[in-house]
Amino acid sequence: MAWAEGISIAEVSKIFTGRGKKVEALRDVSLTCPAGSFTSIIGPSGCGKSTVMRIALGLEKASGGEVRISGKAPFEATRDGVTGVAFQDAALLPWRSVRRNVELPLQVLGRKPAAHADQVQRLIELVGLGGYENALPGELSGGMRQRVAIARALVTDPQVLFMDEPFGALDQILRRQMNVELQRIWAESGATALLVTHGIDEAVFLSDRVVVMHAAPGRVVDVIDVPFERPRKPPLFSDPAFHKVCDHVAEVLHGG
Amino acid sequence: MAVEALWRSRGLRNALLLLLLWELVGQLALVASGALPPPSDVLIRLWQDRADYPGHIGATLYASTLGFLIGNVVAVLAGVAFAMSPLLLRLFRGINIAAFALPPIAIAPILTLTLSGMAPRVTLAALGVYFVTMTATVIGLSQADSRTEDVVRAYGGGRWSRLWLVQFRGAVPSILAGLRIAAPNAVLGAILAEFGGGGRWGLGSYLLGSLGRAEPDRLWGIGLIATLIAGLSYAGFALLSRSLLGSTRAVTLNTAVPAGQGPSGHPLRRAALALAAMLLPFALWWALIKLSGAPSMIAKTPGDVLDYLFFASSAASARASLLEAMAQTLPITFLGMAAGLAFAFALAISTRLIPRVTEAFMPVALITQTMPLVALTPLLVLILGRGTSLTLWITISVTFFPAFVTLAQGIALVPRSAEDLPRAYGASRWTEMRMVTIPASLPYLFAATRLTVPRALLGVMIAEWLATGQGLGNLLNRSRGYMDYGMIWSVAAVSVILSVAFYQIVVLAERHVLRRLGMATTE
Repeated sequence: MAWAEGISIAEVSKIFTGRGKKVEALRDVSLTCPAGSFTSIIGPSGCGKSTVMRIALGLEKASGGEVRISGKAPFEATRDGVTGVAFQDAALLPWRSVRRNVELPLQVLGRKPAAHADQVQRLIELVGLGGYENALPGELSGGMRQRVAIARALVTDPQVLFMDEPFGALDQILRRQMNVELQRIWAESGATALLVTHGIDEAVFLSDRVVVMHAAPGRVVDVIDVPFERPRKPPLFSDPAFHKVCDHVAEVLHGG
Repeated sequence: MAVEALWRSRGLRNALLLLLLWELVGQLALVASGALPPPSDVLIRLWQDRADYPGHIGATLYASTLGFLIGNVVAVLAGVAFAMSPLLLRLFRGINIAAFALPPIAIAPILTLTLSGMAPRVTLAALGVYFVTMTATVIGLSQADSRTEDVVRAYGGGRWSRLWLVQFRGAVPSILAGLRIAAPNAVLGAILAEFGGGGRWGLGSYLLGSLGRAEPDRLWGIGLIATLIAGLSYAGFALLSRSLLGSTRAVTLNTAVPAGQGPSGHPLRRAALALAAMLLPFALWWALIKLSGAPSMIAKTPGDVLDYLFFASSAASARASLLEAMAQTLPITFLGMAAGLAFAFALAISTRLIPRVTEAFMPVALITQTMPLVALTPLLVLILGRGTSLTLWITISVTFFPAFVTLAQGIALVPRSAEDLPRAYGASRWTEMRMVTIPASLPYLFAATRLTVPRALLGVMIAEWLATGQGLGNLLNRSRGYMDYGMIWSVAAVSVILSVAFYQIVVLAERHVLRRLGMATTE
């Protein structure tokens, strides 16, 4: 399953104006994610990595530059259901069951949830929540809620999957578990994935390429290729080669 | 769960003790030689009067229910419009503040003049619910989880799908909480309109009609029924929201900062907006008069009132009597309000030192929240007579309870850890109070003041209208007798403007002080 082209972000800049002051949040950010690839953006807090994603999703307007998602402008891509999205917090509607939360994007796009019942059920099972279809978010643990959010992100069969620190609120152990699962789910979906994170090992474990950003102004300083074969297995976390890549990322991250 | 049960049983015990004390005091005729009858007498009288009640209750229920429905439909629609358009909200600020701050008793006579039948009562009941529900709707809608809204936006969802899928359902708890408070307000509005409008049926008419005769037990019976209706309507919505709330509470805290709503745009544009917001209520007044088609002899436009007060041949004497009435009303309003707020603040602060005070007092305070307190003024007339002390006590009592509830709940929100910090360095209870609790409760003191401004004026005016024969309330009542329509409209306009102006002063002071202290307003 190869899509026309993944994500292309070209010389995007963003200037926030507030109270008469101008803040340059992004300067000439460019990156390309080939179709079907997994890319992570990593950087310190405030480097604008979430802003890059919000611009790509059409939630925020760029001050300059261009974004194409499968060849479309962000607003077209979101409108056509080309993109899937998961945020740092699960952001579920507390009054909707797991199933109805997963269906939300279909409803927004004006598609009939009933026509996609099989797809919804498959995804709920894919994220390991079979049997919890009718549970309310309040009855689930943090990790389960995050998995609902992942299922929701995949429900439109997206060509492009955006994730903004989807496991940021989880503990280290759960996070690794979710990383392994995410790799499996992503591989099955065939989507182009862009992950924003500040976990080095998470970025390296999941990605084909890690994009390192620095702050003030937010800019890309390096793109590091991750050579490991897929599917990657948990023992990789303790592999010396894995640590070498992580160390390299850390070095670039801390201004080396 | 166990704590709640304990609290309830203690509340029950206190209520029973209070009832017993009342019976005792009543039996011995300790208060104002029998003005406070024992509950047993009240119940017996209630039974004897049972044939009278259905008609009166029916009329009051009809007006308040209809007003409740109409007012809430308007309020929710307005709330949605305001939540979607901050410009509209700013434009309607004047109208909204006026709707909140106007003393219902002041406009009851003009409603009776321009409308007929049940319409004045329904209108006043609707006005009583509008502000509460509108505010609750706006708050509920704008507090929606911005992260879930982002999810919807990320799929190309527009303004309406966000409103429909995320915001509206999320606002339900807030709206229900609004309805809960609005329900007793509707009853109060209907009763006040009955005071001002005459008419045969209605609990207000019944209360007013029985005031002349020396029958305290009947008056107390009517008060009991009115309280019961208001209390039951409150309890009904409280139950409804509790059964719905279980699944609605957000499972995580929203940490995202909502888009700034501060003043924006060119200063000239802002000034124009403020001016428009100020003029809109008068434009609405004018338009309503023109639309109603009421004869110009009775229905006065803003221009007519200006003419009456400044240009007509009798303008000087009209101004003189209006100013004299204001000179009687305003000092006692301020005094009563200040005393009510001071008592409430002192008691609320002391609840932190002696938690048992709240425990014993909160149930009483909460019950009075649902009582149409000002409508029960006739009961206080019985006990306190018709002098100035009556006005003062009414004002204190109508301001004290809501202020106490606001303050006590606000102070309970002050994080324990903030208070533990000074104590960890060996500070005394008093130092801790001075350094943390009192400053932290300032926003709530301002909120309580805002809340009590219109109530204080309403309380004073009702006391003046019904009993003391002084001030704006009396002038309003007397002008009705003389059919001095210009004066009726003038008093109504002046009391609304006074109330709004005072409210605005409090808001400005609040913004200034809290900004200097770096705190957020609770507005």
